[in-house]
Amino acid sequence: MKAVWCFGIFVLSGWAQTREARVAELVSAMRERLVECRRDLHMHPELSNHEVRTGKMIAERLRAAGYTDIKTNVAGNGVVAVIVGAKPGPVIAWRADMDALPIDESAMAMPYKSTVKGVKHACGHDAHVTIALGMAEALMKMRAELPGTVKFIFQPAEEGAQDAAVWGAKLMIAEGVMKNPAPEAIFAFHMSAGLEVGKLAWTENAASAASDTVNIKIIGKRSHGAYPYQGIDAVAVASQCILALQTIHSRRIDTSDPSVLSLGTIHGGDRRNIIAETVEMTGTVRTYSEKTQNDYERFMKQTLEGCTGGMGATYTLDYRRGYPSMQNDPALARRVLPAIERVVGAANVATRGPGMTGEDFSYFQNLIPGVMFGLGASNTAKGISGGGHTAEFDIDEESLVVGVRSGVGIVFEYLDKGAK
Amino acid sequence: MRLLTFLIAASAAGQSLDAIVARETVAIEQKLIDTRRDIHMHPELSNQEVRTGKLIAERLRALGLDEVKTGVAGNGVVGTIRGGKPGPVVAWRTDIDALPIDESNFNVPYKSLNKGVKHACGHDGVITVALGLAEVLSKIRKDLPGTVKIIFQPAEEGVSDTELFGARMMIEQGALKNPAPSAIFAFHASPLLDAGKIGYTVGPFLASVDSVDITIKGAKAHAARPQLGTDALVTAAQCVNMLQTIHSRRINTIDPSVLTIGTIHGGDRSNIVADTVKMEGTLRTFNEQTREAYRTFVKQTMQGCTSLMGATFETRWTGPSYPLTTNPEMLTRATVATLERIVGKGNAQMVAPQMGAEDFSLFQKEIPGVMMWWGIRNEARGIVSGLHTADFDIDEAALPVGVKTAAAILLDYLSRK
Repeated sequence: MKAVWCFGIFVLSGWAQTREARVAELVSAMRERLVECRRDLHMHPELSNHEVRTGKMIAERLRAAGYTDIKTNVAGNGVVAVIVGAKPGPVIAWRADMDALPIDESAMAMPYKSTVKGVKHACGHDAHVTIALGMAEALMKMRAELPGTVKFIFQPAEEGAQDAAVWGAKLMIAEGVMKNPAPEAIFAFHMSAGLEVGKLAWTENAASAASDTVNIKIIGKRSHGAYPYQGIDAVAVASQCILALQTIHSRRIDTSDPSVLSLGTIHGGDRRNIIAETVEMTGTVRTYSEKTQNDYERFMKQTLEGCTGGMGATYTLDYRRGYPSMQNDPALARRVLPAIERVVGAANVATRGPGMTGEDFSYFQNLIPGVMFGLGASNTAKGISGGGHTAEFDIDEESLVVGVRSGVGIVFEYLDKGAK
Repeated sequence: MRLLTFLIAASAAGQSLDAIVARETVAIEQKLIDTRRDIHMHPELSNQEVRTGKLIAERLRALGLDEVKTGVAGNGVVGTIRGGKPGPVVAWRTDIDALPIDESNFNVPYKSLNKGVKHACGHDGVITVALGLAEVLSKIRKDLPGTVKIIFQPAEEGVSDTELFGARMMIEQGALKNPAPSAIFAFHASPLLDAGKIGYTVGPFLASVDSVDITIKGAKAHAARPQLGTDALVTAAQCVNMLQTIHSRRINTIDPSVLTIGTIHGGDRSNIVADTVKMEGTLRTFNEQTREAYRTFVKQTMQGCTSLMGATFETRWTGPSYPLTTNPEMLTRATVATLERIVGKGNAQMVAPQMGAEDFSLFQKEIPGVMMWWGIRNEARGIVSGLHTADFDIDEAALPVGVKTAAAILLDYLSRK
């Protein structure tokens, strides 16, 4: 009995070992092509909603890998490809963003320097695309044993578009990317500049704050500075409003739900001896829950109404919503963690606190459980340590291999366990 | 009997001088209008009055004045007329600079040709009156019992880059010496009084002014982590509110005063906690004690409102700083008699002090001086806009009234002494 038990363990883990080993072998065989793919993308970066070449290249590579269900020009230059495994099982999605940033890397020394002056993959999206393409290729080779369906979502304009009302993840969802087939979970990697290559990290629940921008204008009435009663002093009104706005956080928001309202700039008045007619302020609101985000917009209006009305002034508030807070589903993360731990070792997977940067992956997470894992990109010993969104940003390309192996592992780990 | 004869003779002489002045003024009415429009179309900002100064000097020289000093305190001009009869020295002052106000939407044929600059404080009018005064007096020079000094002062509106400008600089450069006047008079345009009227106060006329630059220093941080910084913007808001309570809680309400923070600027980006906010303010009072109290209270308030947030501050009293303009009783009462004779009793109006300020007060610190409101309003013609506004205008019918009245004030002063 005991012997049989031991044998059973051996068989099961042997089978798993075998697949891990086969994936490792497969990926190590495509190492050169991963590097080539990433460098090609890095040398031809394209800004948000201008990812024409990138989109074409993704579609071509998917076709070459044997994909037939490929949708192009989704939400602009996005690409969606579906692989249906030979075995029945659930549908999950893998998301990779594909746009670059308006950052100049001409002063950098890397051999795969951007050929588009003033544009750079400074957020690692070149690696995200490469890893997703590598996973797609590996899964196609393992299709016979794939128990379910995987939808690869190559998303444009994650960094945001100035000239469009809707873009990126939100637009892809509007165009039906989460339907036919409808995934029940979604995963993504994000290259992590603060993390050494070979390590992964993730954040439970709120991983990023929702970041909204506010523009406030206080409108009073000009008069000579010696005769304030003939005008309405926008400087005095603005001062009252600033203080009143700060009490939203202390008096009207549940303190267990973190939030920040900061006004960063203030400008008003023409001359010391003229009562200021207008004062303009800009600021940011950071929230983690949608309720608190809605409350801030409502309370700011109410507060400004009161503090200006009380002085006979008026106001305008332009409350611009940024991406919602990214919420990583802890149960989903734990369900697939064993696969990652088998690739990099349990010691190299950690949880970490929330970051402040925005991610429109949150729109997908609003619909289905999703997790974004941070994938170590730095190699301090090799001098690869530049921060995201800086001209110095780079990745240790070994992270591509780690990424593909971990990604394929996550997919099998989820699908093997069957529908949720 | 002899005394009576003397009085009749003096009065008759006065009357006749009035008549001559009136006649000479009528003769230059069109010239006054042309001059005012020329100056109005070529306004120049404080300490940039090059063309204006040149125009004034040329006109004075053409009149054959005894002395025309140019380049006083920058672009200022001082003209001296020595009368044919012995007597004291008296001064008339006018300011000559314009304001950074755009009148491109102001629909008059004599619109400013210098975009963004406008004579919105009536200095074009008072320059014209002073030039007319010089012309009329030069015509009756042999009957003039004393010396008249006409001071054309630059930079009355104030400049920020130096403490020494305008009246203070003119005094420093000897405008009140060689010869030294024993009294000084001036007009300021008033859109509250109809053309034909002159307003006066006995005692306080305009407030004192002091200018303060306030800097609040906090510490920068990411806007999402305010606890790592010190928010200069929120601190500034608290300070502005607290500064306003000085007036309501710490100053006797019987004693008029105004503290205005006119500008506020701070911060770098919407998502960075501001480490610096700068504000500019102006203080108006009618009493030296209140003026001093404000300086103390502003400092005390800033100390409190910044330290409670862990911020620091700096206050710098800079820019325009003049005492209150106040008309001495004796000299003013004597002058009012002249006003009543020239414009009529009903048109010489006693008015309440105003919170505006004037560096004429610095001349008053040196010698007795009287400043009066020169009515330029004409409701029927739509000339009603306030000082320092883009629509400010003057009824040109006020120009000859100003010349006649100014001449009479100076002649009466010289005759009295």
